[in-house]
Amino acid sequence: MSILIDSSTKAICQGVTGTQATFHVRKSLDYGTKFVGGVTPGKGGSMHLGLPVYNTVKEAVSETKANSSVMYVPAQFVKSAVIEAAEAELDLVVCIADSVPLKDMLEINSVLKGSKTKLIGPNTPGIITPGQARLGIFPENIHSAGNIGVVSRSSTLTYEAVIEISRAGMGQTTVVGLGDDMLIGIDFVDVIEKFHQDPETKAIVMIGQMGGMFEEVAADFYKSLKNPKPIIAFVAGSIIPFGHNMGYAGDIMTGGHISAQDKKDALNDAGIIVVDNINEIHLRLQEL
Amino acid sequence: MNIHEYQAKNILSQYGITIPKGSVAYTPLEAKKVASKVSARGPWVLKAQIQSGARKKGYFLEEKTGRGGGVRTIKKRADIVKNAEQMLGSTLVTVQTGPKGKTVSRLYVEAYNNVEQSFYLGIAVDRVHSVLTLLAASTINEEITTLAINHPEKILRLPLTLEKKTNMAQVRQVMEFLHLPQKSSNSLKRLINGMHQLFLDFDAAMVEINPVGLLKNGTLIALDAKISFDDNALYRHKDILQLYDDYEATERELKAAKYKFGYSEFEGSVGCIVNGDGVALAVMDLLRKQEVGTACFLNVKGGVDKDKIISGIKIIMTNPRVEGILINILGGFLRCNLIAEGIVSAASEVGLNVPLVVRFEGTNKDEAKDILIKSKLPIIMADSTEDAVNCLVKAMEESE
Repeated sequence: MSILIDSSTKAICQGVTGTQATFHVRKSLDYGTKFVGGVTPGKGGSMHLGLPVYNTVKEAVSETKANSSVMYVPAQFVKSAVIEAAEAELDLVVCIADSVPLKDMLEINSVLKGSKTKLIGPNTPGIITPGQARLGIFPENIHSAGNIGVVSRSSTLTYEAVIEISRAGMGQTTVVGLGDDMLIGIDFVDVIEKFHQDPETKAIVMIGQMGGMFEEVAADFYKSLKNPKPIIAFVAGSIIPFGHNMGYAGDIMTGGHISAQDKKDALNDAGIIVVDNINEIHLRLQEL
Repeated sequence: MNIHEYQAKNILSQYGITIPKGSVAYTPLEAKKVASKVSARGPWVLKAQIQSGARKKGYFLEEKTGRGGGVRTIKKRADIVKNAEQMLGSTLVTVQTGPKGKTVSRLYVEAYNNVEQSFYLGIAVDRVHSVLTLLAASTINEEITTLAINHPEKILRLPLTLEKKTNMAQVRQVMEFLHLPQKSSNSLKRLINGMHQLFLDFDAAMVEINPVGLLKNGTLIALDAKISFDDNALYRHKDILQLYDDYEATERELKAAKYKFGYSEFEGSVGCIVNGDGVALAVMDLLRKQEVGTACFLNVKGGVDKDKIISGIKIIMTNPRVEGILINILGGFLRCNLIAEGIVSAASEVGLNVPLVVRFEGTNKDEAKDILIKSKLPIIMADSTEDAVNCLVKAMEESE
């Protein structure tokens, strides 16, 4: 078992003919991911990487019965691409681009609230179920199948968490990068809930970082679970760099709780195992 | 992107929001001249234009500046030049600037307004719920920051739509919450409406008026103003880009911005190159545990070419604070071999005279290691983030 994607996932790629898309879709195909097509407006009818290319997501879905998409489109086109995917009623959309405008994300999330489509990202390395499917840019050589779920708000620290799991002699069920932009699609709560329901996942590694209230909300959710699976968490950013903000609104939004320490305290209170150094994760995993 | 108070107030007034009469001054004489224009008999307010909050409570590093902070109310015309002389060119430190402070290059000279009541009004994004939120609170007894921590229930939060339409029920809610007189109703509507509209029109990330003052006739006046714009949406606002004041940025910061790198400078001695904010923060935390500070970190982010990488490495190498360099790349989108080629080229161009530790993981890491080994440069290779930090701290101690 796994969450969100597995060997039966039928995926398309939005923006498939671009350079980065070509590089990473080829890697995903080699990995065994079941890609059934791609979308690039204006290039419909052609073939790319051995996949049929369509002009629209709707067309691709009706021809291929795809249920998921990974998009490598630039930030300024993300809004229309995600909304197009939601209108085609895909289950899952993975958005790799970073720097999507805030207002576009507000609009995207308000559209997604009324739809069945789940968004991973933006600014995410994507999602990988080792040995089965890869949607994104994960370096596939560091992953192996196992029983640990990974969910992370920091792109690159996700790799670090995976490497720690290998050091413990274990593997992953599924690895989800939530993305580290201001606004994201699914969050810790969505993913922890899925891992909680997944019989294969025995424990979860969670990577948070300063800013926002995502970790605090996850801690509250974890408290509400019956017989929760163990979570080992790391939160980056004990130092708050100066000069990144000049207003108070961010602080007000979070009741002044923005530092990594506040988040560590909240997670600790909820019964989550918090490590101070990311390279301690393998030791705590071995103790479980 | 942040702008100055006077620029923000100018935008507010374009949206029909009442602001005090004011003008910018770059010299003490100019300050005196514009003072008589904005108010015949005073009092006046001299406000240091640096991009930071809490300027009034801030202090100047220079002795000549006297005891006053970054916002001064002046009653006598004769005192304007003296105070402007003290403030202009001096370094103002606030809780938001860090200990280095910021140099005051201009003043905003305003007519003083006597207000009967004042409060906080802001619009920001609630990240967890992904909604635009209006924030309002009375700040007569407590400052907004302490309210946020101690009495969050005393801050009204109302969700705003993404359509530019004023919700009259919400305006009434704010009226009641702040106990504003009925005669302020239209003024409040204009205020909320204006802030909401400009937030959406200009892709703002935050709009804040702290405080709003209530004048005798019921008019609400923006006594201070802060607007931050969403950097990711600036491409569709060329007019806003023109407001950018690079006076506050260092040359290295400007270069980094040109290549779209994330770049921040601090007080320590280690220069870090990473490809993610999370990694940067994790490295800083580990360095601090060993009592070593960070001089700067450069986030090269995703898709980069060799030339961009060379420029990034040169930015770090030319920071005089840097006594050791740590490069920690976990390649996904970014291919490690590109970074390795960049390191070799940059080192041969500017020379490598401080210890350099490199850690590669992920896409093409073996090719990357080969490139560094073949270069025969004195580069230390590490296996993990922790190992990289340990290696660098050790190498820096040995090179002392």
